[in-house]
Amino acid sequence: MSTPLSALDLVLLAVYLAGTLGLGLWIGRSIQTGEDFFLGGRRLPWWAIGMSLVATDIGGTDIIGVGGAAYRSGLAVANFEWIGCVPAMIVGAFVFIPFFWRTGVATIPEYLERRFDVRVRTSLSICWQIFMACNLGVMLLASARMTSVLFGWNETLCIVATAILVGLYTIIGGLAAVVYTDMIQCGVMIAGCLLVLVLGVANLGGPEEFWGRLSPEQKSLVLPLDTETPFPWTGILFGLALILSPAYWIGNQAIVQRSLGAKSAFQAQAAYVWGALLKNLIPVIIVLPGLVAALQFPELEEGDEAFPSLVSSLLPSGLRGIFLAAFLAALMSSVDSYLNSASTLIAHDLYRRFLNPTADPRRMLTVGRLVTGVLVIWAVVFALVLSLFDEGIYTIFQTLMSFFQGPALAVLLAGALWRRATGTGALVAFLGGIATTVGQFLLQNPTVCSWLNLQPLFRIREPFLYYSVWGFLVAVILLVLVSLLTRREPDEKLAYLVRSARP
Amino acid sequence: MNTTILHWLGDRVRDLLLQVPLEIVRLLFIALPVLVLIWVVRQPGQQTGSGDTAMRSQTGLKLGAAVALLLQALVYSLL
Repeated sequence: MSTPLSALDLVLLAVYLAGTLGLGLWIGRSIQTGEDFFLGGRRLPWWAIGMSLVATDIGGTDIIGVGGAAYRSGLAVANFEWIGCVPAMIVGAFVFIPFFWRTGVATIPEYLERRFDVRVRTSLSICWQIFMACNLGVMLLASARMTSVLFGWNETLCIVATAILVGLYTIIGGLAAVVYTDMIQCGVMIAGCLLVLVLGVANLGGPEEFWGRLSPEQKSLVLPLDTETPFPWTGILFGLALILSPAYWIGNQAIVQRSLGAKSAFQAQAAYVWGALLKNLIPVIIVLPGLVAALQFPELEEGDEAFPSLVSSLLPSGLRGIFLAAFLAALMSSVDSYLNSASTLIAHDLYRRFLNPTADPRRMLTVGRLVTGVLVIWAVVFALVLSLFDEGIYTIFQTLMSFFQGPALAVLLAGALWRRATGTGALVAFLGGIATTVGQFLLQNPTVCSWLNLQPLFRIREPFLYYSVWGFLVAVILLVLVSLLTRREPDEKLAYLVRSARP
Repeated sequence: MNTTILHWLGDRVRDLLLQVPLEIVRLLFIALPVLVLIWVVRQPGQQTGSGDTAMRSQTGLKLGAAVALLLQALVYSLL
């Protein structure tokens, strides 16, 4: 289905895009060094970082996809924004984020070298670099496909235009431009989605009528273990809340990096708390519209048509431009963050670590901008190559790439909290954990199962939450065993334990 | 279709977790933000500045965290 746009819609969209670009370029005037580029000169305020955290977390495809999942499976998808974010953000705010800020590192892998060794740093950094570089292409393609379906625009043009626009202000303005534009994008995203929700609920006769017509299953956050949906309570509690969420909020470079650019450790903490407060609102604006659509359009073939159907039927000409701006805001805020963080990892963990350890701040700025430019070109090429394949290819790609997050969390937690953890233990745990998650994925694949004449390992559809649980557990076991069998780390490494670094 | 020891292990864990009533599960979901809240409130203040300003900043931070977590506990109590 294609939603027609009027001249007024396009003018609103143009104003938003020009404003974002202008802000990014204006911020770029003050960028003089590598630290300015990668960490915003460590001058970023908590309120901007907090909104940037939320905007980065919600991608363009999430707005449509989460609404679609709510349409199919009910409110349970809101767990990803509530218990799958808030507790981990608060723990991060009070322990890990101020700790990382005080160590003065630019990347999480850099911290792991200080605590363990260069092998652990490089392994983790390479995984993140590959994940981010590929994810840039996946995000551009997935959003372009959605935009072409929604508005009938050319897919290739969408990919190239988004990459150029986001690339321009990220290359010139670095992290500061990313954070401040994210802040605007967060506001636009909330306003656009809230508009759809308010009109949708009003159209159904008001909040009481809307809520009263939903079934108990549609309104429940906690689903039984044998649910038909991919969200049983075991996966949500053990896989999401206890593993994937802390891995994301404490160990994802794209997320943590903006707090490393805060003015102080306290401001970094405050940013996470502010982000957690905002996170309480997010399911209301992106999940509830899916439930509104379930009542208003119960016959849709695809859940992902839920949000677009509401936009087509509820928003008059002029207001559709606001929703499109919200959609693009969500997309741009994620792409710019991954672009900046991928370039930070490459510049710090590869270029400065192995090629030019004495690179001065001006040189690092040049390298950062060059790498960001190369990543923009790479993302466009990769998106165009992926577009030649079936749609399932990028879904599988994205799933595969996220397999290292559980093992990475085990390594990070042990490094920060356990004195006896060693570099060799961390390396074996990380690689063993990845092997475990990849093994589970293969033993769930219908082709592999048929070839081996085996039943699938899990009974549930899309058991990605369970992969992370077992990957994490195997990594923890390996880490403990190998660490106890290897020599203790010297005292200078133990200075990078949370307990040692506290004031 | 054959099974392996991994299937056997998974089935045992599944059977065990199926015994847990959904009411208890809901309590676990409420307990998580509540436990984090108790932990936050008990956190010692960190040096973020001097005197009253630092104290007020830390109190504000804990207050913000408490509101975020209480909202979570409320949401999981009701839905």
